[in-house]
Amino acid sequence: MTPLLLAGLAAITYGSRLAAMAALPRPTGGVEAMLARVPAAIFAGLATLSLITPERSAVEAPILLAALGAVLVAPRRSFALCLAAGLAGYVVGQVVPG
Amino acid sequence: LIGYRRDMTDPNRPNVRRTVLMVLPAALAIAVFGIIYGAVARPLIGPGLTLVSSLIVFSGATQFSVLALLTTGATAPAMLLTAAILNVRHLVMGAVLRPSLGESRLKRALLAWFLLDESFGFTVLAAGRVEAGPKREAMAEHTLLVTGICCYGAWIVGTGLGILGAGLPGLDGLARAVFPVLFIALAALTARTLSLAGRAIGAALITAAICLTLPDWRGLAPVVAGLAVALPDDPRRPEAAE
Repeated sequence: MTPLLLAGLAAITYGSRLAAMAALPRPTGGVEAMLARVPAAIFAGLATLSLITPERSAVEAPILLAALGAVLVAPRRSFALCLAAGLAGYVVGQVVPG
Repeated sequence: LIGYRRDMTDPNRPNVRRTVLMVLPAALAIAVFGIIYGAVARPLIGPGLTLVSSLIVFSGATQFSVLALLTTGATAPAMLLTAAILNVRHLVMGAVLRPSLGESRLKRALLAWFLLDESFGFTVLAAGRVEAGPKREAMAEHTLLVTGICCYGAWIVGTGLGILGAGLPGLDGLARAVFPVLFIALAALTARTLSLAGRAIGAALITAAICLTLPDWRGLAPVVAGLAVALPDDPRRPEAAE
């Protein structure tokens, strides 16, 4: 790793953040309506991504149980409740053997 | 005093304390990952570049991926290409946030530094609770700034501790559990209709399919899935925000 490569990585990362927020025009009409449907889907995708390892296997049981706990209370649509249920699931996964 | 109390309790007004409390679990998890990054990167690229990388790149996904590529002897162009692929998601996230932000290009350029998965999530959530207009813009900019500063600070402090040799036995598992739980909570809160909830489930399934069949493209999976399920059911019908 050289300082130049590091600078390139930084430029790509900030550049991608800058492009959509400050350089590209504000989306309107149909595009804006479509983008409004994106967040929940992206979050669900990110959650799924964090449950599958790069080796294509599931993560450890306590993390799966944490996610399950959050999913079970998700219909209540409470941020604090999701975190609490996730923590509870993780603790159960740590305590229960196997 | 009465006005101050109203500011503290009114969820439609930006409030630093409330925002910090909201982002705290994510920031702590990011700090733990920062420690892991610092500990892993130090022997590979040295303490100086490790700290500078966190200071100027500020992207766990990019930094960890580059470390993995370094250990395989990948070339610089391969690392830059990987970074570009991983960061495509910022284009979508920025485009989603853009209508909620104000007109000042300079302010948006500065706020762009703090755009990451977690700050994006909290900002979408906070902005969605306020009616469109100046109030929403103020809320979105406040949330992106405060959550971004908290996450940036956590990442830098964590990296520094990792370089210094800090260890967190047992805590890394808990930190890894925070992210799926956090994103599930954000998905639940932003899926305000049954249609959005159905699309979110669809995106989760598509993401899983991409991760299992095309593991090299997993970094792009959430954005690809998010855009795929966001397409209108019937393109001939006029668009309406849900």
